[in-house]
Amino acid sequence: MKNIKYLGLLLVVIFIGCSDLEEVPVGRLSPDGLVNSPQDIQTLINGAIGNMATEAYWGRKLSLPIMLRSDMATIGDAGTPGRRQEVDNFSMGPDNGMVTALWPKVYQVIAGTNEAIAGAALIDAAPDQIDPITGQAYFFRAYTYYHLVRLFGAIPYLDAPVDNIDEAKLLTKSTVDEVYANIIKDLEQAKLTLPETQPSSSYPTKATAAGFLASVYLTLGEYQKSYDQAKFVIDNETNFQLGLAADYQDLFDFSKQSSTNEFLLTLDFNGFSDGDTGRDYAPALTGIRGNERGDIGGGWSVAVPSVEVYNTWDGRDYRKAVSLDTTGIFGGVIEPFVKFPEFDSRNIPSAYIAKYTRAIGPTGTGNGRASSLNYGLMRYAEVLLTAAEALNEITPGSEEAAGYVNRVRERARSGNGADYPENVAGGMSQTDFRNMVLDERKWELAFEFQRWYDIKRRQLGSEVFGANGLEPQPNFDPNRDYLFPLPFDELNRNPNLAPNNPGY
Amino acid sequence: MLKHEKTKWIKMLLFSSLLIMTSLGFAQDSYNLTGTVTDELKMPVPGASVVIKNTTTGTSTDFDGNFAITVKSGDVLEFSSIGYAKKTIALNGQQVLNVILSEDASQLEEVVVVGYGSQKKSDITGSVSSVKAEELAAFPVLSAEQALQGRAAGVAVQSNNGGEPGAPINVSIRGNTSIGASSAALVVVDGFVGGALPQPNDIESIEVLKDASATAIYGSRGANGVILVTTKKGRSGKMQIELNSSYSSQSVSNRLDLLNASQFAAYRQVINPAYVQGNAETDWQDLIYRSGTIANHQLSFSGGSDKINYYVSGNYFNQKGVVINSGFERFSFLSNVDVQATDRLKLGFNAYANRGTKDGVQSQAGSGGSGGGDVISTAYRFAPDTAVRDANGINTTNPVGDQFDNPFAIATESIDETKTDDYRANFYADYEILSGLSFKTTFGFSSENRTRGRFLPSTLIGQASVQGGIGSLESLKGTNILSENYLTYTKEIGKGNLTALLGYSYQKSRNESFGAASQNFISNSLSYFNLGAGSNIQTPFSSLTEQEIISQFGRLNYEYDDRYLLTFTARRDGASNFSKNNKYSFFPSGALGWRISNEQFLKDSETISNLKLRASYGVTGNPAIAPYQSLANFESIYSNVGDQVVNAVVPEQLANPNLKWETSYQTNVGLDLGLLNDRIGLTLDYYTIDTKDLILGDSSAPEYIGFANLTSLRNIGEINNKGFEITLNTKNIVKENFSWSTDFNWSRNRNEVVALVDGQDIFLDSSPGSFLQDETHLLREGEAVGVFWGYEYRGVNQGTPETGTAGYPNSVAGDELFSDLNDDGVIDGDDRKIIGDPNPDWQAGLNNNFRYKDFDLNVFFQASVGGDIFSYTFLELASGESNATTEVLNAWTSSNTNTNIPSANVREKRITDRFVYDGSYVRLKNLSLGYNIPFDVANKIGMNGIRLSLSGQNLLTFTDFPGTDPEASYRSSGSQNSNTNRGFDYGSYPNIRSYTISVNLKF
Repeated sequence: MKNIKYLGLLLVVIFIGCSDLEEVPVGRLSPDGLVNSPQDIQTLINGAIGNMATEAYWGRKLSLPIMLRSDMATIGDAGTPGRRQEVDNFSMGPDNGMVTALWPKVYQVIAGTNEAIAGAALIDAAPDQIDPITGQAYFFRAYTYYHLVRLFGAIPYLDAPVDNIDEAKLLTKSTVDEVYANIIKDLEQAKLTLPETQPSSSYPTKATAAGFLASVYLTLGEYQKSYDQAKFVIDNETNFQLGLAADYQDLFDFSKQSSTNEFLLTLDFNGFSDGDTGRDYAPALTGIRGNERGDIGGGWSVAVPSVEVYNTWDGRDYRKAVSLDTTGIFGGVIEPFVKFPEFDSRNIPSAYIAKYTRAIGPTGTGNGRASSLNYGLMRYAEVLLTAAEALNEITPGSEEAAGYVNRVRERARSGNGADYPENVAGGMSQTDFRNMVLDERKWELAFEFQRWYDIKRRQLGSEVFGANGLEPQPNFDPNRDYLFPLPFDELNRNPNLAPNNPGY
Repeated sequence: MLKHEKTKWIKMLLFSSLLIMTSLGFAQDSYNLTGTVTDELKMPVPGASVVIKNTTTGTSTDFDGNFAITVKSGDVLEFSSIGYAKKTIALNGQQVLNVILSEDASQLEEVVVVGYGSQKKSDITGSVSSVKAEELAAFPVLSAEQALQGRAAGVAVQSNNGGEPGAPINVSIRGNTSIGASSAALVVVDGFVGGALPQPNDIESIEVLKDASATAIYGSRGANGVILVTTKKGRSGKMQIELNSSYSSQSVSNRLDLLNASQFAAYRQVINPAYVQGNAETDWQDLIYRSGTIANHQLSFSGGSDKINYYVSGNYFNQKGVVINSGFERFSFLSNVDVQATDRLKLGFNAYANRGTKDGVQSQAGSGGSGGGDVISTAYRFAPDTAVRDANGINTTNPVGDQFDNPFAIATESIDETKTDDYRANFYADYEILSGLSFKTTFGFSSENRTRGRFLPSTLIGQASVQGGIGSLESLKGTNILSENYLTYTKEIGKGNLTALLGYSYQKSRNESFGAASQNFISNSLSYFNLGAGSNIQTPFSSLTEQEIISQFGRLNYEYDDRYLLTFTARRDGASNFSKNNKYSFFPSGALGWRISNEQFLKDSETISNLKLRASYGVTGNPAIAPYQSLANFESIYSNVGDQVVNAVVPEQLANPNLKWETSYQTNVGLDLGLLNDRIGLTLDYYTIDTKDLILGDSSAPEYIGFANLTSLRNIGEINNKGFEITLNTKNIVKENFSWSTDFNWSRNRNEVVALVDGQDIFLDSSPGSFLQDETHLLREGEAVGVFWGYEYRGVNQGTPETGTAGYPNSVAGDELFSDLNDDGVIDGDDRKIIGDPNPDWQAGLNNNFRYKDFDLNVFFQASVGGDIFSYTFLELASGESNATTEVLNAWTSSNTNTNIPSANVREKRITDRFVYDGSYVRLKNLSLGYNIPFDVANKIGMNGIRLSLSGQNLLTFTDFPGTDPEASYRSSGSQNSNTNRGFDYGSYPNIRSYTISVNLKF
């Protein structure tokens, strides 16, 4: 009997460990049941925005290539990785590390907006509660595809979350026209539902949607529509609380930029980062090696304007002083840029970009990574110049078009009280005005990631990279280089995306 | 219901066996037998069991070794006691019987612990290597893993960072059977699956289970081989007290030849004529290295009385590292108590506790950023013309290249402490239900608690001054509950012997972690103990993972006529971390053995004392799936909108309901040969392991799908490991005053990637983040795992590149030239190829023991031959942004053109075979001389034994590798990295030479 008692006891022990082996994760975010309210949709959109403020997007992998690709910045440190140099000197291949890292991140931003739009459809909320939030998702989806279509041309277009990978694998490219049609559709939807103002410029408004519609139409050469959208913003500038900042420098000062009315859209950084999320690299990438100014340990001398930028830019232009650093501090002594290489052989004797190093606030790490500077993705000055450029194509020689440019120039002059750049007069020829306004964009929006897109949409490459351009690049090939290659590994994963862009 | 039926069945069984026994008992006349059981030294053996064979009738001896039992003529009595060889005596009417039991030293060697039991070595059909206590304790090491190096064929031991105190160590058996999952062997300590290894001095033996026949009993966790650890137990008899103390002095045996201050300035001035030489002369290697020490003390008490055996030990280990301010201190305790509670019931309790404190200095660079948080690579890179502090007393940063702190400041001012508390308690009850049928249940609990605190004061200019100091604290708590229950049945059937095992196991593990970090502190004196005093609070984190495994397992051993052996094993595992559609896995194996030496034609051979052929085939698994890995998930990310931190999520991954464990199919053929009464023992094994269903990130899902976790995991890859192992043990000379024995093991493992996703190469990067490289090594079908990938260096451009070579764009005289593989006149990504293989051709250990009278000498060599090393160290030192090796004194200049060293210049850190080296080495791991004070001398001062020894570790290394240690590794921690990142060197811990004096006292 004693035995039986023991055995009974032991059998009890055996069956202690019964379980159905189901996993019940605690502390993890399961997609089931996460999306219940408009606020949850905002949380998904915040994720998409957070995904843009990362190294693989606006922190470096998108911002640096479009800066280097232009004629306003070239490679400083010859030892910097080849993948950067290849973007700059038009020798990149489909395996270029900048492109292969950027591509997935862009689509993660899009996936976040798709989740938000699909989630919003499932929520039982009043339209005035949910639509302004969904409008943000439509806007950011359009904004992200707008970069993609300009960089890569025809691309796979997804407008819903993927739940079946096998089907999604077989997707084909949408044509450039189809992608633009979708971008316009999304921006129109956003324009319809977004409010006129937002608590912060990092959320899009009706004006932001219209401003980007103007930009899209300008890119497409649909000047009337472009003008109409820009005019809509300008006519309602009071309602939208938009205007030019009084001091151009304030736009690049972390402590002052938020109090200007100039930004239609910003991407915000506050000096904090969680790994590569929340981290920008522009201060390091554009800074002077060994420079003691700003106490961020100097920069890496990666993206530097060729000395021709300095030589060409009129010295009376206040914007030149804001945009360029012509001196550095080494061993406590202020030194001119011709001597930069003496203090670090990776510097070049040229004026360096100042917009991302001069007043960037606290940085999260050494070396100027994770600055507190917000990035202006669209400024009111750009809307004015867009209106001017578009109007010139419809009705050349108008006072109205000249007036838009003059607002921008007037603000530039007020910075240092100089009489340069002087106002343009009405009645310029269409060609002269077109060239003038493109140059105005080059200086006004210098190093603000716009120049490459201007070169592309106006097909200026052969000129600006020619022997007399700011940055001669003998390797430039207009049949190839207006588009980036699609990442080779993505083509391997989905052969339906073949062929790659011409020349790659 | 089921329980009720079972008890009923057992009740009937017990009743009927009782009937049979009683009826037998009355068949013949019985009488009383008395006697004494003693050992060979005539000391009584208390608590010895005295049983009539094939019955449950028995008794045990009292404290003086006496016994009394009712027997009948013709009975066979079995005498046994732990630590002694079993003795069987057939009765023919004696009334008094005095029995001498001999110690079972020989028996111990012949019995091999296997999963859930033990077996006579001669009955083993699988591939099992044993490592003995004296080998493990031959010289002081922090962990028993280190002591395994070179001791068993097929076992590779690799520290994550050489001799760094407390660096994690990977032990892999027969190569790496996975790519993405851990290939580390499963450790089982006294039956506790997943236990931490105890101190080497507390280990009685380690068995390494290598083939599927031996490991399939561990099912889904058996594919990487199993290390079975048995801790020391007490023996019946009077208490034995043993004290082991050793003291080691350690030093760095080699350094790099770097430029001195004036050489450095001259070198810089070639690159940048404006460089002005600093006013100091600093040898950074001198500053960061010192003589290290290890003090290791162990005190143990063991013994046993009538029914209780015990072993209790305490251990103190204190290492002062050879890098200033580094160290490791540990206390640990182990207690084993076994109780023969009744004739049939045996109980045991095993407890282990350990506290370790790692006082760390980051010796090796991490993966990210501009590097510079570690001391060794920075000691190489830092300008030698710069002092520790500048004129204002501020810590200097490197005046050339990226800004980073000087290594002396890092070592003396940064704080990185890891405290680990481990506890384990394991209870067992072993009940003999019937003769031959026993039931064992174990219940165990273990807990691992680790906290790591780090603080970088703001005086570290490069790392923390901008942030105003950086502090963080992380904590991890892991608990593990294990309940195992199994029946073992043994039965003689004619000439055959059958052993059957059937069991059930439940295990639950739980890991909790949390951490907090802060920056910008009021004062640097706060260390990490007042994170709230930082004004820049970082995102805290916390997490929980839980995992359950339910298993049934069984084994059948059949041995016929001492000649034919048969083993079947199977385990069925169900695990919570397995995906929805694949919750249960099944792992069978089978093995055959033929003891040819017991056949008629060999039985009487004088030469061949043992000859056995073994063959096995089986299936084992690697769970490979982390908890929740197969579930859909959103990920919360940091997001700052409108300069406000906001809640934000991004889609992370889709559910993956079909994900499965990885499966290894292993064939093993082996031969055991004993010659000249086993004076020569030879074991040969050949194996091939096909690991299929490897979980690989299937990047065939296009990235535009947009999940943060782009790699949808699929069971798609396949690798093969095949190899050959030789173990040779010889007793070369056996004389009364002189003996010499040799243990040699040699193993060769070749791995090959058989299948990858769509046959696509997988490019990997192990380079330091500041190198900004993307591809350093790869996985390619048909190649070994982790071969190096880069350019082939062809010397210096003398102006016009010779045919077949080219430089990077704009190459000029003095620049590097490479093979232009595609003949397009320029070097770009298409000119890369496989430039090295880190996998060694073979590894070996050679141990020689000599004994002359009371002296003994041990000489232990360990070797690894044929593996390549890629040195990021030398690549970085040649890139013109730091100090350099003296090699650059011969750099190309217009007047020194006959050289292989490119001109001094800033160069991109591309991966080229200029920095691939042969990593072969032969190392004198241990040389020790011991002296045992004669027993009678020791006895006079009340001791049972005194042993003194002097030893040296790593006294000699033969290698062509120019770096500091051919056992280098970099970024090799973590599952995938430990498989694929092999043979990389970057600021690796230097080779450490030690001299040790030790004393062993027995009371």
